[in-house]
Amino acid sequence: MSTELDVPPTNAEGDAAPEIEIDSRRMGELAGASASDVRSREAVFRIEELSVSYGTSLALHGTTLDIHRNAVTAFIGPSGCGKSTFIRCLNRMNDTIPDARVQGQVLYHGRDLYASNVDPVEVRRRIGMVFQKPNPFPKSIYDNIAFGPRMLGMKKDLGERVERVLRHAALWDEVKDRLKENALGLSGGQQQRLCIARAIAVEPDVILMDEPASALDPISTTRIEDLIHELKREYTIAIVTHNMQQAARVADMTAFFSVEVQDDGKARHGILVEYDLTTKIFTNPSDKRTEDYVTGRFG
Amino acid sequence: MARVEMQSELDDLEASFQDAGTIVLRSIRGAVDALRTQDVELCDEVITFDDEIDERFMSIEKQVELVIARQAPVAGDLRLVLALLHSTLHLERVGDQCVTIAKLTKLASHLDTKRAVIESLVDMGERCVEMMRVALAAFGERDAERARGLHALDELVDRANRQVFGDVLGYVNDKDALEWGMRQLTVARCFERIGDNAVDIGEQTVFVVTGEFVEFTDASHDTPTP
Repeated sequence: MSTELDVPPTNAEGDAAPEIEIDSRRMGELAGASASDVRSREAVFRIEELSVSYGTSLALHGTTLDIHRNAVTAFIGPSGCGKSTFIRCLNRMNDTIPDARVQGQVLYHGRDLYASNVDPVEVRRRIGMVFQKPNPFPKSIYDNIAFGPRMLGMKKDLGERVERVLRHAALWDEVKDRLKENALGLSGGQQQRLCIARAIAVEPDVILMDEPASALDPISTTRIEDLIHELKREYTIAIVTHNMQQAARVADMTAFFSVEVQDDGKARHGILVEYDLTTKIFTNPSDKRTEDYVTGRFG
Repeated sequence: MARVEMQSELDDLEASFQDAGTIVLRSIRGAVDALRTQDVELCDEVITFDDEIDERFMSIEKQVELVIARQAPVAGDLRLVLALLHSTLHLERVGDQCVTIAKLTKLASHLDTKRAVIESLVDMGERCVEMMRVALAAFGERDAERARGLHALDELVDRANRQVFGDVLGYVNDKDALEWGMRQLTVARCFERIGDNAVDIGEQTVFVVTGEFVEFTDASHDTPTP
C-alpha cells in the first residue's frame, strides 16, 4: 500500500525494505560528534506552530522546534505544560483521542506527518514509543519481541532479530535461558527494557519515550539511561521526563515547557519557553523562567 | 520560594567567603604596616595568621563539596558555587603572598632600608588593599562593571612594580643595598600577584553574572582581552 511516506511493499520473503537507508558508518560518525554539533545535523522533525486542543480546551500553544538526528532531545516542565501532549503528536498517538485537534505542522524528514494519505500505523512503526508504565504483552518474552515483526511481515531470521534487539536493549543475558517464559514475570526494569527491545525490533527511525524510568527504581533507571546513550548511535530519541537531572544526564538538547495562564485568568495551556543545548539550559539558560525551573525555584 | 534549604546553604557559603575576604584584607594591611614600620613582631603575626586563612579555605572547600553533593546546583547556583570555590582559592593565595612579604621584611630587617623603595612598596600594598576591597564588594553586589574596573587598578600596581625594579637596578654598585633591593623585588612581585588575584576574583564575578568566563587580561597577549 503506497502512502505519502512512500513505504515500499513487502517482498515475497516478507521483508519490508525501509524507505530510508540507515548508514551505520555515518551513524557512528555522528554519534562520535560532540554535543555542540547536534544542531548541525539533519532535522528529523520540523515542528511549526504546533497547537493541540482537547475539545475547546487549548493544551499546547504554538510550538516550533527541530529534533535532530541521532540526538537525545528531552522535554521538561511542570505538570500540565503539554510535554506529553507534544511528544504524542510526533507519532500521531493523539489520533486515538476523539476530541484532540492538532494544528500547525509536523514535518518528518520533510514530509507532512498529518497528510491525509499517511498511514498512522506505518508512522508508529517508524516512530516507536515507550511509555511510563512498562506494558509487555501477556505473552512470552520471545513473542513480545516477535509480535511486531510478524505483523509487519518481517519474518526472515526472526530468532536472530529477537536476540539482536534483546542484546541491544541490554536484556539478552538476563533472559536468554527463559525466552518462553511469560514477560509479566520480569521485574519492572526488565519489562521496560523489553518494551524498548520490542520498539526497536521493527526497525524504527525514532524512539519516543514518555517518562520511561519514572516507575522504576534508581538502579533500573541508571540502566535505562545507559541504554539511551547506546541507542542514540542508531536512533533519534525524544524523551519526556519530569526528572531534570535525568534530562541533564542523557539529553543533547532540552526543551523547557511551562504553563501560561490565558486571558480569562483561569484556563491554562502549555508553551515552549526555551529550547537549546542541554549544557546551555543547565549552566546559563536565556530565560528567567527556565532558570527558575531548573534551579527548583519554580512554583 | 522553593529550595529554601539550598538557598540557605548558598547564603552561608557566600558569607563564609566574604568573612575569609575580611580576614585576608587584615593580612594584607598587616603585611603593609610591617613593611612600612619594619616591625618584626608584626611580621610574625602576619605569618602566624595565615593558619587561620588556610583553615577558612579548607572549611569553604568542604562546604562547596557538600552543597554540590547534596543540592546538585545548576545554572546560576552552580556558577556561584564554582566562583566561590575559585575565589576562595585566590584568597588563600593572597594569604600566602602576605606571608612571603612578612618573611622577607623580617629577613632584611637588619639591612638599611631605602625610603623611596619602601614608599613605592607601601603604595603598591595600599592599592592592593583597595583592589581586594573592590573585588569582594563587586562579588557581593554582583557588580560586573565594578569588577571589570579592577583591570585598570591593577595597571597602577604593575606600574609601581616596574618603578621598584628600576630603583633596585640603581643599587648595583652597593652590595648591602643590592641585597636589600633584591629582597624588595620579591616583595614587589608578591604585591603584584595579590593584585592579580583580586582581578581573578573580579573575573569570577563577571562569570557569575553573565555565565561567560573571560580573562580581563592574558599574560600571553599584549592587549587586554575585549
